[in-house]
Amino acid sequence: MINANLKSSYAADERVLNNRYKQAFVYATILGLALFTLFGNDYLILIASQMGILLIAVVGINILTGYTGLVSLGHGAFVAIGAYAVTIFGNLGAGVIPAGLMPFISVPLAVALAAAVGVLVGLPSLRVKGLYLAVATLAANFIVIFLIEEDLFAPWTGGMVGINTNVPNLLGWELDTKREMFGLIAVVGLVSLLAAQNLIRTRIGRAFIAIRDRDYSAEILGISLLRYKLMSFALSAAYCGLAGALFAYFYARILPEQFELALSLNLVAALIIGGMGRTMGPVFGVIIVVMVPEVIKVLFGALAGDSAGAGQLRAPLQQIAFGVLLVLFLLKEPLGINQIVDRILRAANRWPFARG
Amino acid sequence: MTMNRRSFLATTAAATAATGTPMILRAQPKEYVLGASLPLTGPFATAGQLVAPAFAMAAKLFNDEGGIAGTPIRFVTEDSGYVPQNALNNYQRALASEGKNMIGYFADSTGAMKLIAPELKGENARIMGSTSFASELADPATHPYQYLSGPTYQSQFDILLQNIKNEGGQKVAFIFSNTEFGRDPIEHGRKTAEELGLEVVLEESTKAEGADIPTHVTKLAQSGADHCILQGYVTGVWPQLIGGARQFGLPVKFKGTFWGMEKLIADRITAEAGPFLEGYEGVMPYRYFYDREDAPRYQQYAELSKAMFAGTPLENYMSTWAIQTMCGLEIAMKAFRDTAEAGQELTADNIAETLANISDWDSGGFFGGPVSMENNAIGTGRVYGYNPEDGLFTPKSDWFTV
Amino acid sequence: MGQFVQFAINGLMAGAIYALIAVGIVSVYKATKVVNFAHGYLIMFGAYFYFTFAVIVPGQPWAPAWLASWQPGWMVEMRGELPMFSPVAAVLDWVANLPRILLGLFGALVCNAILGRIIERVLMRPLMGQSIFAMIMVTVGLISILSGAAQLIWTADAASVPYIAPNMPIRFELFGTMIFLFGTDLVNMAVALLLFGGIVAFVKFTKGGIAIRATAEDQSTAYSMGISVPKVFSRAWVLASTTGAIAGAILATRNGISPSLGLFGFSVLAIVLMGGLDSYVGVLIAAMVVGVLEAMTQWKMGGGWAEIVPYVTVLVVLVWRPHGLMGQKEVERI
Repeated sequence: MINANLKSSYAADERVLNNRYKQAFVYATILGLALFTLFGNDYLILIASQMGILLIAVVGINILTGYTGLVSLGHGAFVAIGAYAVTIFGNLGAGVIPAGLMPFISVPLAVALAAAVGVLVGLPSLRVKGLYLAVATLAANFIVIFLIEEDLFAPWTGGMVGINTNVPNLLGWELDTKREMFGLIAVVGLVSLLAAQNLIRTRIGRAFIAIRDRDYSAEILGISLLRYKLMSFALSAAYCGLAGALFAYFYARILPEQFELALSLNLVAALIIGGMGRTMGPVFGVIIVVMVPEVIKVLFGALAGDSAGAGQLRAPLQQIAFGVLLVLFLLKEPLGINQIVDRILRAANRWPFARG
Repeated sequence: MTMNRRSFLATTAAATAATGTPMILRAQPKEYVLGASLPLTGPFATAGQLVAPAFAMAAKLFNDEGGIAGTPIRFVTEDSGYVPQNALNNYQRALASEGKNMIGYFADSTGAMKLIAPELKGENARIMGSTSFASELADPATHPYQYLSGPTYQSQFDILLQNIKNEGGQKVAFIFSNTEFGRDPIEHGRKTAEELGLEVVLEESTKAEGADIPTHVTKLAQSGADHCILQGYVTGVWPQLIGGARQFGLPVKFKGTFWGMEKLIADRITAEAGPFLEGYEGVMPYRYFYDREDAPRYQQYAELSKAMFAGTPLENYMSTWAIQTMCGLEIAMKAFRDTAEAGQELTADNIAETLANISDWDSGGFFGGPVSMENNAIGTGRVYGYNPEDGLFTPKSDWFTV
Repeated sequence: MGQFVQFAINGLMAGAIYALIAVGIVSVYKATKVVNFAHGYLIMFGAYFYFTFAVIVPGQPWAPAWLASWQPGWMVEMRGELPMFSPVAAVLDWVANLPRILLGLFGALVCNAILGRIIERVLMRPLMGQSIFAMIMVTVGLISILSGAAQLIWTADAASVPYIAPNMPIRFELFGTMIFLFGTDLVNMAVALLLFGGIVAFVKFTKGGIAIRATAEDQSTAYSMGISVPKVFSRAWVLASTTGAIAGAILATRNGISPSLGLFGFSVLAIVLMGGLDSYVGVLIAAMVVGVLEAMTQWKMGGGWAEIVPYVTVLVVLVWRPHGLMGQKEVERI
């Protein structure tokens, strides 16, 4: 099956989905998701929704880390900001803004707030690089969670005990089941993935990649580091804020401890495992990060039954498996699953001729 | 599309009603399921591992008694690691896979209860007990499906403060872990102390584990408190705080709440670091397991423990934490059985109503006497004191009802 | 004023332990250019090893009785009816525990050294020359592996361990306020500072130390000068894990033993960056400053605020001085 893409104009080469296979893949995905939303069983819908929410956040990290080359270990904070902001705006606006319009106002506001805080956290990135930036963002994560828990803000955030969230109401359609929520998550997730794919083919995306490859060289080429680094921070924070807003809508209550360091590390781990700087990387990564604990759980259940002794072993083993996966990918396949998939596709494409 | 599914259900229901075959909808399941999340790992693993065997015992006990009106009940326990999000995932997973057969759920933390509470509505409502005594949960108006198997932390503080007042204390310090579990009764405690004329000289929050003991003890020493209430700890921190205070020769009397009152922990501390828990007191809603006289239920447990856990430390002693869980399960079973006997379907609403109306219940030995559910909690308890010589907590007061 | 002194001393004592933890991160960075995010979890392992050899092993039925509690006749006599927390009784109790304390420290040192070597060989050496990002993330993966493994091996049971030094109370009046200090904390501080000084001297004056510094300067030049760079790597890791073992043992006596000890690594990481990654002096200053600030915050604002002190200070310092207080500025060429 040897084939090539004939492109006879620049316009064809610059399209978001620049060949027919990509287009077909997107259409098939849409169809598959629609069927799954209608007929998937409750358990799978639950898992898929968690993946969808995580995916949007990882797409955000991908813009920052994968394309711009800035490391952040604190993006859980932006998910928190999105989740809390959408809830707080929802509560403040209740009665003033009609319920059916609320998400159309509170979600953009929450995303904008996350982006604004992203710019603030990104400010040191101009002076601080690499490792220093990783620790600075980590510190920001601790501080944001602390502020949410603080008594001073408790009237709005609920403090340490968390806060009940609102049911999203889209023009009178209340999404009060997990299945309906999954429909929304799937649509938003797909759109944000395509938007990210679109972003990197534009001027902005190319600037990001130039900065990743060598920031001083990029500056000499006339790319404003200040502007594009902050833009990258803002965009990735906005994605995480959007994920947070969906998180708040999906669960009936949110607690500050859900957004701690563990979430930030999870996001980066998903990106590394999936493949940095590639559109499909976050998708693969999120599937692995969510599925591996589930698979271990099922395997354990099959092998050991649900005795308490076995239950005690499972959580540590899940944790070890997570660490081992991350380390293995970094050592053996730093470009992630995306690279493996590419290799397989390339081999299929050239079959029966040379592989690799 | 979901509208279609809904309208389909509505039409079917209407059709069945019209044709007069409602029995299909009310078919008895082969078995009922009660799910549970326990902290088998994480900071409170010690507690979770002591509680887990109670579920095995409960399964045997309740099914030997005939389950719920002849239908057996199965307990499914899972690990949460004391992370509320995990407990929520476990609950949602159990709900998705067991469906209507699951009639109750047992959670392992205040956080998990609060996280799951708003999910309990409509078809997804289930009756829920937990290991938590959080005050916010004891409110049928906001948490109709959740209950406490004892007094709230606020009530426990009331009992302790009253006890301190009776002993002639004047200056009280509150030391608590910086978790919602620790912070729960502090504000209320401050008010009660004021009403009783006690001065709160220190409110100190610490890490839940790995706390900086010297600094906290120094603050306690400089506050000049004569009594100190510890809240929000399970196995760690509180013993070290007491040890540190004793080393300084502080005359402060320490008081604990339910989770700091386990004999096994106190014994272990005495064995490892010496008998400095002398004089430690605290509030306990239940009788200790060795206090089995006139407690038929405890005697039954003792026999079962001997048979089921022979050769393990659980053979002769059941921890207060396991007793709390058993009490919670007993309450749930009573509600299930009463509902079934009244000929009602086992829906969360019916069970919750039965449960809220439990009154003058003879628990078979858990409490001082017959108890009633009030605001979905049982407001009783008494103060016990620890004696390192024989390793027993003995009553220091009568039963308080709050 | 008296209270101020009290909390300043408390802060310095905590700061000394931070410095001891930080020295491990700095040493590994100097030699290998890897910043170890998982250092806190190495410390946790040190604490658990100390617990294993000082509590579990002496508690075994096959262990000799003098190991668990050494009770020669003269000591039992002296102990007599002394009240439990009198100074003499505290010293005697410490002497009785001495065999297991020494075994605990020795076991922790050896086991942690082995653990450090394994990590270096299996995970770090293959990454030589890789990007900073990959190296950070490997240590992040290591966090998961270590904390999962600790839970598997020791379960999560919190337990207490014997103090390293006699824990007698020290009380005196200053400016009209009673000052309270624990004897063991003063000894801990002395041990931490001595170790810190010892390591700085080692790196400054010994042959092995010079090899580390040469490698830090330029790996390939060091190689061509006949320095075995892999040996330098493993020496640095062993240095970090053994100082970590002592820090872990101290933390275990101070804060109790639990998996949450690993979290200390993150606040110390903030301290290290604040001081400047490759400057021992800068890190010592930063550790003391954070220790004191934390104690003051604890005193005035309560526990919640104290927890974020290292993170706020590191952000402030990084914005002001991007390479920390005394860190070397890297020169980048295109």
